Amino acid sequence: MIDVVTILVTSVSVLMIAYLMAISSKDLIRLLISLELMFASVFLALLPLFSIENLIDESLGIAVITIFTSSSELLVLIATIVKLDRIKEDITTYSITAGGESV
Amino acid sequence: MQLEIYAVLLISAFVILSAIGCLLTRDNFYSALYMAITLVGVAALYALMDLQEIFILITFIFVGAIGIVTVSLAAVYKFAPSRQLSKAWIIPSAITAILLSYVFFRGLSSVEIGKLSIQQLEFNYILLFSALISLMVLLMLSVLSISRGGTSD
Repeated sequence: MIDVVTILVTSVSVLMIAYLMAISSKDLIRLLISLELMFASVFLALLPLFSIENLIDESLGIAVITIFTSSSELLVLIATIVKLDRIKEDITTYSITAGGESV
Repeated sequence: MQLEIYAVLLISAFVILSAIGCLLTRDNFYSALYMAITLVGVAALYALMDLQEIFILITFIFVGAIGIVTVSLAAVYKFAPSRQLSKAWIIPSAITAILLSYVFFRGLSSVEIGKLSIQQLEFNYILLFSALISLMVLLMLSVLSISRGGTSD
């Protein structure tokens, strides 16, 4: 027996902290950490899904897909950080430009 | 049963506190360490619910692989520690968190978590595992190709 409210409130709190961190980040490492916190929040939100007996197998499937896709996404971001450092020799968010505009 | 509820509360508080530590610390290295602790806390909640398979996946893949790479990156790219917290966004974030928490508090109650057995899984999941591992290998090959100076084509 678990208290779903505790789990979901924790999930929302971690998500909001991660959003705040992403908005405030000045370098890409901090942005990467905030993304990982967002995925931690997603894992927490998935937990109550396992309480539905008919959907346990499906819940495992969703959890596995989430873990693998989020890991792949983070690995690509890590590779991007390394590549950006090689090109610009700087990994601050100010060094990222899109269409001539600074982000 | 009562002990389990207290354990969930304790681990949840631990997760929130380490996430706050992640936000407030000035050094990226310590921030990455706090992030790893947060992820271990999330995995511990799954272990507490006797969902050992998910616990192992989160601990091995997320904490063991991605978390450690992030900690290493943060250790390699050292910056002069500076506060990375936008004060203007603290209040909107807190208000959103409180509103959503209130909605959950009003509409939900306790539930029983079902037991998961890996032996009951059907063939589809083995196929799913294989497809996702292939996805990761393909992504890594593309990244290798780009980092060697080629294109993603």
